[in-house]
Amino acid sequence: MITQQEEYSLIDKILAGDRQQYSILVDGYKSYAFTIAFKILGNRPEAEEAAQDAFIKAFQYLKTFNRTAKFSTWLYRIVFNTAISYKRKSKPAFQSIENTIVEYSDKADKQMERDDKQHYVSKAMESLNEADRLAIQLFYIKEFSLEEVAETMGQNMNTLKVRIHRARLRLADELKKLLKEEALTL
Amino acid sequence: MKKLSIEIEEQLLRYLDGELDAQARQTLETEIHTSELLSARLEELRLVQSVLIQKARLETPSKNFTMKVMSGLDTKPVTSTFTPRKGLLLFIGSIIASGIALALLSAGVFDAPTAPLVLDSPLKTDWLKVPSVSIPFNGKVLVNGILILNLALAFVVLDRTVLKPIFQRRISSGI
Repeated sequence: MITQQEEYSLIDKILAGDRQQYSILVDGYKSYAFTIAFKILGNRPEAEEAAQDAFIKAFQYLKTFNRTAKFSTWLYRIVFNTAISYKRKSKPAFQSIENTIVEYSDKADKQMERDDKQHYVSKAMESLNEADRLAIQLFYIKEFSLEEVAETMGQNMNTLKVRIHRARLRLADELKKLLKEEALTL
Repeated sequence: MKKLSIEIEEQLLRYLDGELDAQARQTLETEIHTSELLSARLEELRLVQSVLIQKARLETPSKNFTMKVMSGLDTKPVTSTFTPRKGLLLFIGSIIASGIALALLSAGVFDAPTAPLVLDSPLKTDWLKVPSVSIPFNGKVLVNGILILNLALAFVVLDRTVLKPIFQRRISSGI
C-alpha cells in the first residue's frame, strides 16, 4: 500500500516528466479500480477496459489533482464515473443457452449449501437498485473504508450508511420471500 | 405476521456490526432470547451478512493491465466540443432571439401587407417575352416559423446541457 506522502512524491515526479513512475501508481491501485468497475459493469473484459481508461484519464488530468484528498479517492471517483458511462453505452449481453457450459460435479454438502445461500442472496440482490447494490458490495470489501465508498459514489457518509442498512434489510426480506417460494415449489 | 419496528431492525444491524456498547448489547441479547420474531430476524440478517462477506473480495485484473495503461497514456482524451458552458450560452441566445421576435410580432411590425416578390428576368427584351415570376411572401409567417424553430432549438440545448446531466447524476447516485 502506498502512503499519501509517497503518492504525492510520485505525482511530483510524474508531473516533472518521469511518466514511468505512473506504473507504480497503476500497480498499486489496479485491483481496487478494477473491482469498482467490475461491481458496476459485472463483466470482466468491459471492467478491465473501463479501469484502464480511467487510469489514462487520471494521468491526463493529473495536474488538476489538487491534493485536498487522497489520490486513491480521486482515482476511484474517475473509475466510478467511467464505469457508469460504459454501462450507459453498453447493451445487455445475451448468452445463448446452447453456449452455456453446465458442469455437474460431486460437491460436498457443505459447499453445496454455501453455493445455495450465495445463489439466493445473489438473486435477492437483483431486487435492489443499482446504487444500493454497488454500495453494499463495496461496503463489505474490507479494503475499502466507508468514507472511501462514500466519496467514490459522491455521497454523504451518513446517507450512505442509511442506504446500506436499508439495503441489508431489503435483502433479508427478499431472501425470505425467495426461500418461501422455493419451499412451496418443492 | 407481526413486523419489527425499524428502530429494532437498526439495532440488530448495529449488533451484527459490533457497534453496540456492552449494555445495549446485553439488553438486546436478552430480548432476542425471549422473542422468536427477533431471533428469526437476526438469523436472516446474519445469513445475508455472511454471504456478502464471503462474496466481498478484491478482483484481480489481467497480468498485462499496467502495460496496457502505460502504452495508452498518449491517447487523446475524448472531449466533447459541446460543453455545458457553450450550451448554456446558446440557450440564453436562443431565448433572447425568440423574445425579440415575439416582441416584434406583438408590436405588429409584420402586420403590414407585404407585396409579393417579383423576379424580373434580365433577358427580357422587346422581342422575347418572359413572364415575370411572383412568389407570395408573408413576413409574419416566416418570423413565426423562425420563432418555433428557435424555441425547439432552445429546448434541445436545455435538455442536453442542463436536464440530461442532472438526471444522469441522479440516476448514478440512485436518488
